[in-house]
Amino acid sequence: MRRFEETVLPHLDAAFNYARWLTRDRTEAEDVVQDACVRAMRFFGSSRHENPRAWFMTIVRNTWLNRATRRPAVTKAVRLDDAGHEMEDEGLDPEEQLFQQHAVAQVRAALERLPVDFREVLVLREIEGLSYKEIGAVLRVPTGTVMSRLSRARDRLAALLEVAPHMETLR
Amino acid sequence: MNCEVVVEQLDAYIDRELDADAALSVRTHVIECDACRKRVTSRRVLGQLVRAAPYYVAPASLKDRVAVHARRRTSAPRLWLQAAAAVVLLAVGSGIGLLQLRSVRTDVVVDQVVDSHVRSLMAGHLFDVQSTDRHTVKPWFLGKLDFSPPTVDLAEIGFPLIGGRLDYLNGRPVAALVYRRNQHTINLFVSPEERETSSAAAGTRRGFQVHHWVRDGMAFWAVSDLNETELMQFVRAMQAS
Repeated sequence: MRRFEETVLPHLDAAFNYARWLTRDRTEAEDVVQDACVRAMRFFGSSRHENPRAWFMTIVRNTWLNRATRRPAVTKAVRLDDAGHEMEDEGLDPEEQLFQQHAVAQVRAALERLPVDFREVLVLREIEGLSYKEIGAVLRVPTGTVMSRLSRARDRLAALLEVAPHMETLR
Repeated sequence: MNCEVVVEQLDAYIDRELDADAALSVRTHVIECDACRKRVTSRRVLGQLVRAAPYYVAPASLKDRVAVHARRRTSAPRLWLQAAAAVVLLAVGSGIGLLQLRSVRTDVVVDQVVDSHVRSLMAGHLFDVQSTDRHTVKPWFLGKLDFSPPTVDLAEIGFPLIGGRLDYLNGRPVAALVYRRNQHTINLFVSPEERETSSAAAGTRRGFQVHHWVRDGMAFWAVSDLNETELMQFVRAMQAS
């Protein structure tokens, strides 16, 4: 059996990024990932992990869901003027930050305004590069649902960013 | 292939999730159709935009903490105890009473366990049968439950059994055994468990320590305001009995 460290820890960044987008909060994301790690350690070895990343992401998501059901929903209003401001803490180098600030802030704000179902599917696909099948495993939905949800998520995001309104013409 | 079908499959096409034949059909149409070509382009632009969103790398402090836990876990003989201890540490550290358990179902039970514990203390309804004699407590449950809870007295190590009562968890009657440690009360809920053979978990909820384990077809929930070390002592003694 491969060790936990070798199997799961390489995906810690992916887990954190996912948790960060789910929660939209750095502290909350840290808590989720920590708890998910503990949970993963407990379950590790009890099953085969052919796809440790998807497996770990599933645990991250379930951990987040469990916490979310137990706690009052954090309705953190995302103000557009917050987006650029918060970015300073996120460790991009200054040049990069300056260059990307405007576009990144807009995308980030738009993503954060999406319903979490849409946001997570976009993050898993576009940022983490998971396949439909892997996303389906993480979200526990059929591949067809992944496809339609992703499609609707992109439509919504495009509308928010005002990219190509003609996407909507057929729908 | 018409535009409607292509739009239907556009995302799967861009994500390379279509099989070769379907992808070829879409590609053939897109080459011919200006509108669909624009659709593909705007989807690709959108993808680039999303990928330009911040990537949140796990903070070094988090990586360190997790690595430390992982090392402890692999080097320790009592793996689940380590994990349980880690949960407690994390729960305390994050300021949130949090129990790491398998499912929402179990999680609901945890809340009920804590509720019952609190209720038993507040309403003064700690016992239906008050006795330090396990030979009195055990028969009392006969006829009230369809199973016979193990009643163990741990008085010699400082956890006297002081009584029992009927309680309810998840809509079914369970045995609640009451133990005492100095001024602290421990409620031990016992019920049959068919689904699992053995497992264990621990954590805090609303300031109470909760330990859960399954053994020999019985699920146990120990809850108390006792500190973690002493409750763990109780749990170990109970598991060893």
